[in-house]
Amino acid sequence: MNLEISKEEAQIMHIDLNSAYATAEQQAHKSLRGRPIGVTNRISKHCCVIAASYEAKALGVKVGMRLDEVQQFIPDFIMLETDPPKYHHVYQALCRIMKDYSPDVKMKSIDEGVIDFHGTADLHKRPLTEIGMEIKERVRKEIGSHMRINVGIGTNRFLAKEAAGWHKPDGLDVIDFRNIKKYYAEQQLTDLTGIASHFEARLNAAGIFSPMQFLNASSDTLRRLVFRSVIGEDWYQRLRGYEVDNVITKLGNVGRQFVLDVRSADDSVILPRFQYLCETTGKKLRYNNVDARGVYVWAMFQTGDHWYVRKMHKQPFFTDRDIYAKALYLFNQRPKHLIITAMGITLYKLEPSTRSQQSIFDEVNKQEWLTTAIDEINERYGNFILFSANALEGKHKVKQKIPFGGTKYFELLLKRA
Amino acid sequence: MDPTHYLNERVDVVTLYRKSGDVSTLCFPYKMKYKNEEIIFTELCLRHPTSKGHRMIHVFDVGDGTNDYRLEFDAEGLTWTLVALLEGHYEPRD
Repeated sequence: MNLEISKEEAQIMHIDLNSAYATAEQQAHKSLRGRPIGVTNRISKHCCVIAASYEAKALGVKVGMRLDEVQQFIPDFIMLETDPPKYHHVYQALCRIMKDYSPDVKMKSIDEGVIDFHGTADLHKRPLTEIGMEIKERVRKEIGSHMRINVGIGTNRFLAKEAAGWHKPDGLDVIDFRNIKKYYAEQQLTDLTGIASHFEARLNAAGIFSPMQFLNASSDTLRRLVFRSVIGEDWYQRLRGYEVDNVITKLGNVGRQFVLDVRSADDSVILPRFQYLCETTGKKLRYNNVDARGVYVWAMFQTGDHWYVRKMHKQPFFTDRDIYAKALYLFNQRPKHLIITAMGITLYKLEPSTRSQQSIFDEVNKQEWLTTAIDEINERYGNFILFSANALEGKHKVKQKIPFGGTKYFELLLKRA
Repeated sequence: MDPTHYLNERVDVVTLYRKSGDVSTLCFPYKMKYKNEEIIFTELCLRHPTSKGHRMIHVFDVGDGTNDYRLEFDAEGLTWTLVALLEGHYEPRD
């Protein structure tokens, strides 16, 4: 295959909220504006920054840094705990604004989304750069005067995202056939979305050291030599501005994990937390209206060792009792003398729920009714008010975290907030 | 590290309602009485709804020019709670 760079008019707009969580906190608290702040899920000495304000980034704070590390060079660094309803409000307001311009809007995560303008030219009759400026203004007016967004416009989702990151913060750029080579010439390989150290090493091994060389590589080289799969072909098209990323992914698994607040090998400490993880995973499963057949449990030990075990079952399951029983059976096979630092459960092999089908076994029906009743009570009163007594300590210790990536669990999270 | 003081105290609040305008400013707390002091709000920084079970809660992040306050209005119980206070100053750090 030999493709030219796409000459299509740029119709994809990527919108990215600058340092979303930190900026939302600065919007809510005027006294924090202009100051280096960070946001974390649970404040402790070793907690890490999951979002940093631009002022903090300018002083060298990076996402993932531990609080005690940051405090060594910024003694007055302010760390706040996440506030999901606040971010949800900002997310919803941003969605609302974006949907005013096209019916085809897809939120990629809590702080970024894509507007596809294909087929809306007659509706707007003005350049997308003008619409981009208007969206920026509306975000300031309708969400908050401190809120800033980056807007990127491109012929495909990849180039639109690259354009949004070109001149941060508060940028607005277009990348199309006119300036695509100029853009690539300014970047490093790992600046490109989707190219991290692993892919960079593969590209380097094939003699590709810059985005321009990446662009000039043939489809065959990328497919056979670099990526050794169809991914190479996708990259060949993506770099030239052709759309390959407009795909809907299927839900493959649900799960939860927890870094223990107290490192321990003692069942009385571990099992309440583990049971709570199982119950909240069950809630996610039912929220997606699917049943699972596979259970995967894992643990990380203080020794640095990682342990896991998985099992596939013939019959699908979805009740908290079934999930915990199956997970516990596996979890009890761990080396019990080792101190656990983190653990998790994942349910896989998901299939559409058969819950509307009544069983011929009364015991099965009773389990289903009990689960439904518990879910309804929790839905009404919030805050996971009803749960197993054994999981009591777990409920107090395992805090719900802000979802990264997709936003499919945001509504569920808010019911517990 | 975290300048937030959690108070969770019921307070008296005078609220303003406007007949028109942006949704974020249609209703907002004007002043409150806390520990026998009257605090007049000069800034409405952010308002967002949330829920506790089926109860609708409106969260108002407001400022009086010096400190920031988080006030919550329970739309079912019709109560105002001063949830938290952030001591601060409005000048950016040096």
